[in-house]
Amino acid sequence: MAERYLILEDGSSYRGEGFGAEATTTGELIYNTNLTGYQEVVTNQIYHNQIIIFSQPSIGNTGISHDAYESILPTAKGMVVRDVTNFSVDRSRRLTLDTYLKQHNIPGISGIDTRHLIRKLRDAGPMNGSIVAVDDAHAFDQLHATVLTNRQVAAVATPKPYPNPGTGYNVVVIDFGLKNGLLRQLSERRCNVTVVPWDTTAENILNLDPDGVILSSGPGSPMDLPQSVLEMIQVVEERIPLFAIGLGHELFGLANGANVVPLDAEYHGSSHPIRRIITNDIVFASQGQGYAVEAKSINRERLITTYVDLINGTVQGLRHRDFPAFSVQFFPDGGPGPDDNRDLFDEFMEIMGSREG
Amino acid sequence: MAIDLTTIHKVLIIGAGPTNIGHETELDDATVQTLTVLKKMGIQVLLIDNNPFSVALEETQPSNRFIQPVTTDNVQHIIEREQPEALIPSLGGILAIRITQELLENGVLADNQVQLLGMPKTTLNQINNPTLMNETLTRLNEPHIETEVVSTSDDALTIGMQIGYPLIVKPIASHYDANRVICDSPEDLYEAVQLGFSQSRFHQCSLEKSIVGYKEVEMVAVRDSANTRVLIDSIENVDSIGIHSGDSILVSPAQTLTDREYQRLRDATFKIAQALNIEGALHVQFALEPQVENYFITKISPYNNRGMALAARTTGYPVALVAANLIMGVTLPDIKLPQNYAKQTALMEPTPDHIVVRLPLWPFQDVPDADEHLDTVMKSVGGTVGVGRSLEEAILKGVRSSQFSPRDVLPSVSGIDDNELISQLIHPLANRVLVLIEALRRGYSVDELAEITRVDGFYFYKLKHLLEIEKRIQDHPMDLETLNVARYYGFGDGMIAGMWNVETEAVRQLAVEGGMHPTYKMIEPTAGEFDEHTTSFYSTFEYENESERLGSETVLVLGRGGNQLGPNTAADYFTTEMLKQLKRSGYRTIMVNTNPNSLSMVPEFSDKQYLDPIQLGDVLNIIDLEQPKMVIVPGNRHFLTRELKKRMTNIHVLPPDQETGLVKPSEVDVSVALFVTDHQVIPVGVIDMLTPGDQHGTAHVTVLRLPAQTQGADDHLVSLAQAMARTHHLRGMVQVLFKKTAEGFEAVGIRPTRLTEIAFLSKATGINWVRMLTRLHVGSINEKELARIKVNLHPDRIALMAGEFPFRQLRTINRPGTSAQEAGAALIFGSADRLGQDILADADAFKSLMNPTI
Repeated sequence: MAERYLILEDGSSYRGEGFGAEATTTGELIYNTNLTGYQEVVTNQIYHNQIIIFSQPSIGNTGISHDAYESILPTAKGMVVRDVTNFSVDRSRRLTLDTYLKQHNIPGISGIDTRHLIRKLRDAGPMNGSIVAVDDAHAFDQLHATVLTNRQVAAVATPKPYPNPGTGYNVVVIDFGLKNGLLRQLSERRCNVTVVPWDTTAENILNLDPDGVILSSGPGSPMDLPQSVLEMIQVVEERIPLFAIGLGHELFGLANGANVVPLDAEYHGSSHPIRRIITNDIVFASQGQGYAVEAKSINRERLITTYVDLINGTVQGLRHRDFPAFSVQFFPDGGPGPDDNRDLFDEFMEIMGSREG
Repeated sequence: MAIDLTTIHKVLIIGAGPTNIGHETELDDATVQTLTVLKKMGIQVLLIDNNPFSVALEETQPSNRFIQPVTTDNVQHIIEREQPEALIPSLGGILAIRITQELLENGVLADNQVQLLGMPKTTLNQINNPTLMNETLTRLNEPHIETEVVSTSDDALTIGMQIGYPLIVKPIASHYDANRVICDSPEDLYEAVQLGFSQSRFHQCSLEKSIVGYKEVEMVAVRDSANTRVLIDSIENVDSIGIHSGDSILVSPAQTLTDREYQRLRDATFKIAQALNIEGALHVQFALEPQVENYFITKISPYNNRGMALAARTTGYPVALVAANLIMGVTLPDIKLPQNYAKQTALMEPTPDHIVVRLPLWPFQDVPDADEHLDTVMKSVGGTVGVGRSLEEAILKGVRSSQFSPRDVLPSVSGIDDNELISQLIHPLANRVLVLIEALRRGYSVDELAEITRVDGFYFYKLKHLLEIEKRIQDHPMDLETLNVARYYGFGDGMIAGMWNVETEAVRQLAVEGGMHPTYKMIEPTAGEFDEHTTSFYSTFEYENESERLGSETVLVLGRGGNQLGPNTAADYFTTEMLKQLKRSGYRTIMVNTNPNSLSMVPEFSDKQYLDPIQLGDVLNIIDLEQPKMVIVPGNRHFLTRELKKRMTNIHVLPPDQETGLVKPSEVDVSVALFVTDHQVIPVGVIDMLTPGDQHGTAHVTVLRLPAQTQGADDHLVSLAQAMARTHHLRGMVQVLFKKTAEGFEAVGIRPTRLTEIAFLSKATGINWVRMLTRLHVGSINEKELARIKVNLHPDRIALMAGEFPFRQLRTINRPGTSAQEAGAALIFGSADRLGQDILADADAFKSLMNPTI
């Protein structure tokens, strides 16, 4: 395979071997410490703009599975791994990670000391990087000159509404860059789902007569979205049961008067214990966040903190005092990551049910 | 099971007894760590064990230590006399679990108000009874293999017809671990149940559907009394079901699971931990049906075992320390780990950023009549691990650590013909990994091999890559870039030198000139997310090195690698005690070993550990970095010692070489153990060297008795021995051998005292001779102090040690073994009346004296 380089904003360069697409790419470097599920990670839309460093050293071992996509069109900027395997036993197509990345024009680089990079980013903080063919001055100039878009949600969310029919509750999902895992959970519960674009108005949402509304996860900063989104949330939460995840949770916080702040180091993994405050037990979850709702900014008259990360202290869940609305920062559908929090979907079903009768 | 911990001041731990196939030093390892935790809590810990090589016994105060066969009767006596408030059943392997079950059933626990720690009584019942366990799994809706229990051959044959062949037979409540037999026909079944009935405490066997060929995966988790559960590690068996997990090549963490599969197994593990109310660690084994997302739970072990030890080594998560806290009711958020761990490490799910491959080690060289075919009965006696940042690197480092080839080469099995190769692919032998590689060499495709062997194609893909690199090495002699690639994927300098037909030194020189240095990575549970300061490292060839020189007053101690038959568990005891003494003598210690079960690798005993092959190139790399003041090499590594001595002056050989005797007598009856310095010869003990059965010869000495019953000749023997030792160059623990003749005793040889005997002498005399020997080597011994040591050469109490052999599990003829075939040993003390007689006259009586069954 071709020799390629990973270059960083701080001027460092690492030689490796290319896999996937041969494209030159620039993105924000983040690291993911999940042991399994590279396919789910690279297809998660929250990684739009980002180059993902994997801590698990051997990536690609099970190829690409036909049933483990988290989006149809992945938009991650690249993969950085220690070792890549070009192998698959999935059904008859036997699609490998390498081929898949080529199909979607995502470059990867292997043979990188990923542990070193993680230790570096842990201490140095967020940094951009590029995967390039030649690590010359021009490549670094390009890297420094690149401004990543802040219209990430618009880039990955559906521009048009679409249905995922079912016979159960009528759920409207507002798509900020959703994970398929969310739809899987709703399908398992037979919901009649309509996925609508992120900028759908409250009126149009209410016109669909939903039993419940879900604000999906998505990429980037919630502050990059217009005020109208927060206003939509404020209208909807008063009337319809609401469940918000990831970016949706951050927006839910903002809409209810809290601040959202960037983290010193983004966290992507599922090894942190999270305390569920109401039951005082500890769960693990698939986490992927660069921002968090600031704990001290929470208006206790309106919101209750329901989950806290015991390692970095971040708020992981909120509940509205007056309305049937709640949110979690992590991915309750797993994919990849633990199943510990599937019950949140059941809870949402119950809330929708209790309002019916 | 709310236990009021404030009421517990005295706890009994049931030890594991002599090491053997299926349980080696990992049990002692966990016991030692548990002792540390309990002692810190101010709890008095009683320990029963008769393993003379136990470090835990050494760590237990004499008044709390019960050196007795681990039997229900003996444990009952201790409970009745000592009245402990609680008992820990999870540290002595399956033996302790069975004994605890008997004590539960016979009412001893209830009568004496002894609480069970770590698991409730109902759970104990379930572990000991597959029917109950299956009921629980059915209730949990967790898939398992339905088991039918039979107590007659007729029933067995009827039910066998219903289940269909192949099926598996297992004795119920057997005295041994994992006696599973696959039956392909009614004839097989008849034979298997006959054997099984005789091994079962209830004269019963279970029959179940065979899942041979399924992928085997193990999960290790911990759970606290608040039901917080943390998944520690996943372990994948490269060999599919049909080969005992202890005999399989293991990969940790699992590499061929999708996230869905992984999460389902994690969920199931947690569900079981909760249902069984485990407070501590839990090991669950699964069988995954190929192609479909089905799994079956095959074994549930809420007690310490080698899976847990491997998980701890892989992840850097201190499983035994955490489990000890959980057993005592401390919850995960409240566990205080040593301060080198980041805050809340006990509560985080480990996410290793390296791969560990464990390869089994075999007894077949020492027991040539054993059948080398691998099946569901465990045959391996130990294992070694390789750690790397790619599977290729981890496999090669594992292979290099398991072959014990002094020159670090990859052995070839190219001599076997094609038919034999196919046969071995289907019916694996001990040299499994080499045969898999050979098949690829001969052009079999990845898919074909995956089909034939039921090994995931991923592994063949990786092995094939290794062969490509091997080709590249062969085609590019002395090429720097090639050397780079070769080392990156785990090829050793010795291997590369072999392929290039040059000396290892030339390869190293090429690397030095090219500015290529090894990098060491920390084994810690967070993949670099947190600034952990654990003390274990492994080598790789990447960008960043994380290991800095420990200091100037350091000793580098090389271990003996994986456990094998012969004196190896004694060697592990020796090395651990040596590490303790080096620390006391003011040194900081650096340990290198590849045995995942080794006590000497427990962070408590050394300042730093390298999990790396004990081969010349790897050792020199560590020496280059650490610049130790002294290097200690085990006596069985002649080539390594020679090569190191060429380069360094301060090399010590410890444990001592067993082969450097001046005379190798054919027969011996009595030995005198001496501690010899330049100025003094101190008598340590006079030992009867006994040979069970009608065997004779030095190799068959497997029973030792102190003091020897020489009818008053021992003082004379001691003087003779002292005189002989003064004229010889041997220093340290020295042994003069005597043979009985018509005229009396004749001196027939002098040699370094055997490792097993040093351990025996330490336990028998109450003086730690390993530490004395270590002090002699590092120059911290005081001749005046030494002169004051007066060992009582005529103690009233007799100590007896007898070797334990693996013949039963290897299904060979049971016979008196040689010392090279020992898998462990048992130790007892007693009066002259009881042990001074002709104890070997009745073989059965002797066996039940030394290690009676429960």
